[in-house]
Parts: sequence; structure tokens; C-alpha cells
Amino acid sequence: MAAGDGSGAVRDDAIAEAPTARETLDTLFSLAYEELRRLAASVRRNDAAATISPTTLVNEAWLKLASSPEAADTSPLHFKRIAARAMRQVLVDVARRRGAEKRGGPDAISVTFDEGAYAASGSDDLLALNAALDDLARLNPRQAQMVESRFFGGLDVAETAELLGVSEATVLRDWRAARAWLAVELSRHH
Amino acid sequence: MSDDSSTESAARWTRVQQAFHEAVALPDAERDAYLARASGDDESLAAEVRAMLDADARADSLLDRGVSRAAHDVLGAGRAYVPPAGAFGAYRLLHPIGEGGTAVVYLAKRDDLDTTAAVKLLRHAWLSPMRRDRFTSEQRTLARLDHPGIARLFDAGTLDDGTPWIAMEYVEGVPLTDYCRVNACTLAERLRLFREICEAVQHAHGHLVIHRDLKPSNILVTSDGHVKLLDFGIAKQLEADGDAAPTRTGLRLLTPAYASPEQLRGEPTGVHTDVYSLGVVLYELLAGRLPFAIAGRTPLELESLVLAGPVDRPSSVARRTPGAIEASADAWSDLDVLCLTAMQREPERRYRTVDALVRDLDHFARKEPLEARPDSPRYRLGKFVRRHRRTLAAGAGVSLLVVALSALYAVRIRSARDTAVAEAARTQRIQRFTLSLFEGGDAESGPADSLRAVTLVERGVVEAASLAAEPAVQAELYQTLGGIFQKLGRLDRADSLLQRSLAARRALTDGAADVARSQVALGLLRVDQDRLPEAEQLIREGLALSRRMRPAGHRDVAVAMTALGRVLEERGAYADAITVMREALRLQSALGETSPEVAAAATQLGNDYFYAGDYAGADSMFRRSLEVGRRLYGANHPLAGDALINLGAVRYQRAEYTEAERYDRGGLAIIQRVYGPDDPRTAAAMTMLGRALVAQVRFDEAVPLVERALSIRERVFGAVSPKVASTINELGIMALRRKHYDEADTYFARNADIYRAVYKGPHNLLGTALANRGSVFVARGDFVGAERLYREALDVFGKTLPPTHLDIGIARAKLGRALLRQRRFAEAERESSAGLQILLAQTSPATSWVRNTRTDLAALYDSLGQPARAATIRVALADTVVASK
Repeated sequence: MAAGDGSGAVRDDAIAEAPTARETLDTLFSLAYEELRRLAASVRRNDAAATISPTTLVNEAWLKLASSPEAADTSPLHFKRIAARAMRQVLVDVARRRGAEKRGGPDAISVTFDEGAYAASGSDDLLALNAALDDLARLNPRQAQMVESRFFGGLDVAETAELLGVSEATVLRDWRAARAWLAVELSRHH
Repeated sequence: MSDDSSTESAARWTRVQQAFHEAVALPDAERDAYLARASGDDESLAAEVRAMLDADARADSLLDRGVSRAAHDVLGAGRAYVPPAGAFGAYRLLHPIGEGGTAVVYLAKRDDLDTTAAVKLLRHAWLSPMRRDRFTSEQRTLARLDHPGIARLFDAGTLDDGTPWIAMEYVEGVPLTDYCRVNACTLAERLRLFREICEAVQHAHGHLVIHRDLKPSNILVTSDGHVKLLDFGIAKQLEADGDAAPTRTGLRLLTPAYASPEQLRGEPTGVHTDVYSLGVVLYELLAGRLPFAIAGRTPLELESLVLAGPVDRPSSVARRTPGAIEASADAWSDLDVLCLTAMQREPERRYRTVDALVRDLDHFARKEPLEARPDSPRYRLGKFVRRHRRTLAAGAGVSLLVVALSALYAVRIRSARDTAVAEAARTQRIQRFTLSLFEGGDAESGPADSLRAVTLVERGVVEAASLAAEPAVQAELYQTLGGIFQKLGRLDRADSLLQRSLAARRALTDGAADVARSQVALGLLRVDQDRLPEAEQLIREGLALSRRMRPAGHRDVAVAMTALGRVLEERGAYADAITVMREALRLQSALGETSPEVAAAATQLGNDYFYAGDYAGADSMFRRSLEVGRRLYGANHPLAGDALINLGAVRYQRAEYTEAERYDRGGLAIIQRVYGPDDPRTAAAMTMLGRALVAQVRFDEAVPLVERALSIRERVFGAVSPKVASTINELGIMALRRKHYDEADTYFARNADIYRAVYKGPHNLLGTALANRGSVFVARGDFVGAERLYREALDVFGKTLPPTHLDIGIARAKLGRALLRQRRFAEAERESSAGLQILLAQTSPATSWVRNTRTDLAALYDSLGQPARAATIRVALADTVVASK
């Protein structure tokens, strides 16, 4: 059969009647996944400088979901926070599977991917970032949430400030310190 | 990590950050010295900060590369997936042939039979159970179907990591519309293909499967010229009894151009859903383009087009399109019926089944009459097309409401935390739009449509009830929905929702400003409920609270002032209403001169001036309203029509009847064009024009106009309504002018009864009815009866109008005449000269009122033995007669 349907992304999020919270989250994860795929594809097509920003993606995801009943009790900011969490979760899940595949662990199946040079370090970096963020959350939960929202969710400074209930200056200051600290943590894994 | 050590780590992290920020602010050369000082003997702290400074300067970690790069790294866009041998039963994958968001499709070979197949795999099945469910549901659907027009399912399975796959017939073909275009298919060829599609869909329906996503890209035509339906991805399996359970498809799943109105509305889908989409496909085959112009539209716009946009007949589109198919006029006429019947917006008006559609296709092929053609086909089709053209009609408005409400919810929720003024203003615009759909729509749409609207709004209430976690948003929605119920005339429901909104806001800690808005909204409801004292109290409280909570000149204050003006006007306190409305208009205007609010406030103030007898004031306000309305909506908007009618009324009051006629005709033309010939608003304009004609003694033109207006209004408003009374008044005046005294007396008496029944107390309109009845008595020569009626009228006017009001002037002048005829000269002179003073202040000296009163006065002064005064009056009279010639 030919790929008669070129609109996969549009058709992708069937919603059941009266979705439960679980299903809503499920939908959100699916959506985050699709968006991440687009995001990844944009890197391949263009230079990194010209990629779609996560902000755009999250905003688009919100627009798609906003008119649906399952988003009815969600504010855009709240949504972005959940989306950031979903993006992190999806990326980490994928990275874990990549790691498992490479090591041929029990979960792996014998499939081959034509992995690029990035794939290995990309997976490791992501898993390292995930672990470092967990560590940061123990040191300062607000900073960890800030990094998650900004990096994975593309929230801007003003939105992050509103979400965390702090000033924009505080966000910039915390971000700079957290970014430097996380970079040090990541470099330990190389 | 224990609590202690965790506290310790956190404290250390704080010190690290402090040192980092201090050091970062220093020039490179001074950093080491600073760190040595700051860390004291804690060398590890200094090292940590140094590493951070280093990372800060390099800025090349994952965090700096961005999440897109990270996603690319692990997701590896476009990476080919090569599954293991033997994983797909008898099929061997050859190469990928397609890739969608969730699935990837491979061309596969079955070596033992030497056949090909398409194998579709779900990507990343582990991501969510829902993805798997959707995928396997397509598999179950296909397993039920076995038809040459539907791509067959061969095999299905699951890889050992849980990834489901299906092997299906590999179709080499091109999408339907491309095929027809490339091959320049004739009408007969197109209809043959369409019939094949129908047969495939019939087969699916026969097996209780509804496709729900029929569109040319899902319909391929093979090289041997046969169709194959693909993609049952969102198909639904009907229950065994064939009943369509209400299942939401989910808006963003659909291709709006082909989706049925019920899918867009979230209503139950069924066989009729596929009938509709087949209709759209047929439309595209016949007309050469989609029924709705989709290019450059947002999904929301597209939805409102599908729900309420105009649909041209396929024939008229084809005629305009170069290279379109050709058919005789008769054939086109049948094809129009066939196609538009399938595409009816109401499912019950479509072909009930695909079988019925196919039967008519066959009738058409055999040149037999269509079953879809009723006894008078022209009427029904014409009606359909007209219905679709009337985008502003109430029925369509109700459908649009769905779209508007969903947009409203989205915006409402968004604005819950964004208190930005701009966002609030946008929200209000949407609110107004939603409400305006109901503006006076009931009368035309009739009970069925208003019932539907009520159902719809009740649905909104249920959704709002689920927002308990966001009480501020919930309160806002309750206020909006309450406002809609108010417009629909369901005052009890409006009452409970607005009360709920008010109570919820009172419970919020920061809800005071919104409490004020609730009070004003509830106050306006009380006005509709004729509970004016309560209304005034609520609105005054709301206004005072808004003034405390909001900056001067805030929209809320302007809205509350306008509401207060409204309640004062309803109470007949026109002088107070004018003071309040002038301020309200000033506030609204400061927020933006060209706005619907300014137009509305100017109209309201104009009305107040008018009722208070200040016609110059009224004139300038109605002009302003006309001006703003034209700038906002153009010259043919109902707002402009209303303003013209109002300006006509001012001219009429000033006895400038030809001018009044000119304005009224302009207003009537607009209003009739917008609302149609049987609408109460059209009736109102007809009445005004009729009145201007009567004043010019053109009864033959006026009477049929006004009688028609009366019958429209009686039908719409019932027999006892002030809206009927104003028309009756005109008919009474006409009867009087034609000396049909009994008829006139009956009309005016009926009006007085209506006003007494409705207002239950003194009201200036009751005074007018009484005074007019007095004029009938004068005409009959019953001056004692006339005097009684005039005095009764003046008693009412005295309680409701300022002493210099035109109506008082007229009534006093007429009372003077009734007294003169009774030869009670001294009393008569008092009334006539007082009446004349008022008349001269309010109207032109050339009016019949002034001239008749002067004639009366001249006779009075003669009788009172004051010839000099009589002479003065006669000179003035002569001057005006000359001047008016």
C-alpha cells in the first residue's frame, strides 16, 4: 500500500470520550513525542541555528490541545510545565532504550539503527543531564524545575519567573549558576 | 541522603552560587584572588566554582546546544528501522515506502506466493498504550472487511518488543482527485468512480464499520481504473444494533474540509457522517474544487465555514471554472440536488444511507427522477441554498456558537492567570460575539432552534461545573453563560448562574473587582425581570465597588455606568439617565471612540434625550451612533439602519416629515435586507415609515405597511405588548385622520389597556394613549369626555415627564381646545398659552400643533375681550403660514 495518508501528525491524537487524567497525560506524552520528532527532524534539515524552537513547539502543542476538553482545566503556563516534564520524560525514555540497545541488554531486540556519531553521546548526555537535574532538585528544587521548564519546555524568562513566583532577575541569576553547575556535572561523564 | 546532610548540601550549594556570582562579576584577573579569599581553607569549593566559571565561559554543554539537538541525537529523525528476519510471518520487508507521525510503512514481499504487501508498523509503541490501542483498532476494523474497493488485511502481529504491525494489500494508485485531473475524466467517468467508492463504503457500513475520514487522499485509483479505500485509522465500529453511540472523534484528528458538521460539533457520528463526506467528495469531483475555500484559513475559521458558511451549487462553480466538466442544464440541476442532499448540514435531511445515495446515482444515470427531489424541487433547493447564504441567520448562529464557545473556553482559561488588559479585552470581544448571536434571534429561528441553543448552553454549564479547581475561571464562565441564557429569555437559568458567579467571586480573596461585575450583570438581569428597585441597588453597589477597585476610567466603571443609565431609563427617570449616560459615554469614548460600546451608549443617551424631549441632543447622539457604526461595520449594518430610523424619529418629532420619510426608508432598506421581511425589527421600521407617510396624508401607502407590521408583531410578541402597542397607535392615528372615529377609539383604548397591564403604574406611554383617545373625543365633539382624558393624560405625564416635554405641550394645548369648546375661556387660555410655550420651544412654529393652538388662542382672546393679544397671535400665525409657503 502506498502511504496514502500524508497527515500523520494531524491525525495522531485520538481522544476517547470523557478522557481520564491518565488519558490526558497519555495524550500529552504522545503529543510531546510527535513534537520532539519534528524538532529532531528540523535539526537534520537545517542548521541548528535555524531550528524550530521548543517554545514554538510547546505553543503549537498548546494550541492543538487548548480547544479540547482535556485541556479545559489547564492554564497555558501549567500546560507548558507539564509539556516540559513530558519532553524530558520522553527524551530520557528514548535515551534509555538507545543505551539498552547498544549494550544488548535483556530489553533489546536485534534491530539496527544507522546511528550517527551523535547518538551515543547524545543519549549519554541526556541521561547524565537527567541524573544531574535530580541531584539539583535535592539541592534546590526551584532551580531544577527552572532548568526543566526552560530547557525542555522552552519557557521564556518571564514565564519561568511567573511559574516559580520569583523575579526575572532571580531567574537569570539562578539559571546561570545552574547551567554552569550542570555543565560541570555533564563533563564528568565524558 | 539524610535530612542533615541534605540541608548541609543545600547550604553549601548556596555558598557555591554566591561565590560564583561574585566571581563572574569580576575581571578574569581578579577572580583567583577573590576565590582564595572567599573559600578560605575550603579548596574544593574554590575548585568547584572555578569549574563552573570555566563552563560558564565555554557555554557548550547540552544545555547550550538546545533541546532540538538533544531530540535529534536520540530520536534520529528519518532513521531507517530494519526489523529482524521472520518477524513478520511470511512477509519479508523490502524498503520503506511511507512514514507518518506514528507509523512507518514498508513494501514487503511474500516469497512463497510471489505477492507484495504493505506492512505498517507502529513507531515507538512503548510510548503509550493509547497509541497501541488506536493501531490495533484499525487492524480489527480491516479484519471485518473484504471488498475489492477496500485495501485488504492479510496478516497482523506483534514484534517481541510489543510493536504491533499489520500486513495489508499494497495498492499502487493515485489519489482520486489527482487521477481525475490528470486523466481529464468525463462526468460519466467521475460518477463511475464515485459509485465504486460508495459501494466500498456500503460494504463497510454493512459490516458495521464507519470510515469517518473519507477524503480523496484516502481514496486511490489503481492503474486499471478502480478505487481502493485506505486508512480506517479512525473508523468506528458500530454496535450490533447499528446504533451510533455518541463518540467524540476529536477535532484535531479530522480534515475539516471533509469532516461533517456533527463531527466538528462533537455530536454522534454514524452512517450519515460518511454520507456527508461522500457528498463533499462528489462536490469536488463535480465542481472541481471544495465547497469551502480552505486556503489560508485557520482551523477555527474552517470549522465555522463548514458549520455555517455559504455553499454554492456545484453547477455554478463549474460554470465559472475553466476546464471543468460539462453537462446539460437538466443534468446539472439533478447533480446539484444529489450532491447538496448528501451534504446537508442536518444529518436527518441527508440521504439516510449510502444505498439511497447510490439509488439516486442510478436514477440519474438512467435519466429518471431523483428520489431526493421533492414535489417542488426548486423550492427546496432554493431554500437550502438560501439557508446557506444567510450566514447571519439564527440557525447558523447557533452552530457558530459551538465554535465561539470553544474559543471562548480556551481564551477564558488562558486569561485566568493573564490578567493583562489586552487579553481581557479580547475575551470580552469573544463574549460579545457569542452573545450577539442571540440578539433578537429567537423570533426568527422559532422554538426548535432556541431549544437547540439552550441545549448547547446547558452543555457549557456542565463543562463549567467541572472547573471547580479554577473558581475564578468558573465564575467568569457562569457569568457568560448566564448572559447567554438571559438573551435566550431563560431568565430563571440566567438568575441561578449569575447568582452562582456572584457567590463564587465573593468567596475569592481577590475577587472584589469581579464581584462588582457580577453585581452589574445581575442588576441588568433584574431590569429584564422588571425588578427595577433591586436592579438599581445592585448596579449602584457594583458601580461603587468598581470605582473603589478600579482606576478611574476603567472599562468596568464605564459598563456599570451604562447599566445604571439603562435602569434609570427603564424607570423613566430620563433627566438622571441623561446625566449618567453622558458620563458613561465619556468613559466609553475615552477607551476608544470607534467601538460598539460608544455606538450603543450614544444610542442609549440619544433615546434618553429623545424621551426627555431634547431633540437636538437626540439628533446629535444618533448621528454619532450612525457615524461610529458606519466606521465599525460599514453602511449596511443593522446598527446604521437603527440609527437612521432613530434620526427619522427625531425629524418626525420636529414635524419634518419628508426628512423623516427619507431616513426611515434608508433604515428600512437596511433592516429588511439584513433580517428579512417577516422580522419584528423590519416591522418596527415599517411602522416608523408608515407614521411619516400618515403625517403627509399618504394613507394609501401607509395603511398596508402598518397593518403588515402589526400582524408581524402580534405573531411575535403576543397581543399585549408595548411593541404591539406602538403599531396600534399609528393605526389609531390613521383611523382618526380618516375620520374612522370608532376604529380609532378602539385602537387607542386597547393601547391604554396594554400599557396599564404592562407597566402597572404611571408611564408616559399610557399618557400618550389617553391623550390620543382624547383627540378622538374632540373630533367627535365630545369635549367633556376629551377634557377628562386629557386631564388623566396630564396627570400621568406630570409623574413621568419633565414639565416642558413636548407631549405635555400637546396635551395642554388640546386640553385648552376641549375647554374652549366648552366656553370655559379663562381655564382654556391658561392651558393653551402654556401649551404653546412648550410647543414653540420644542418644535417649529409651522407645525399643525402650533398653528391650531394659536388659532385657538386668537379665538380665546377674542372671547376674553383682549383684541390686541388676539391680533398679535394672528400676525404670528400669518407670518408662519407665509414662511412655510
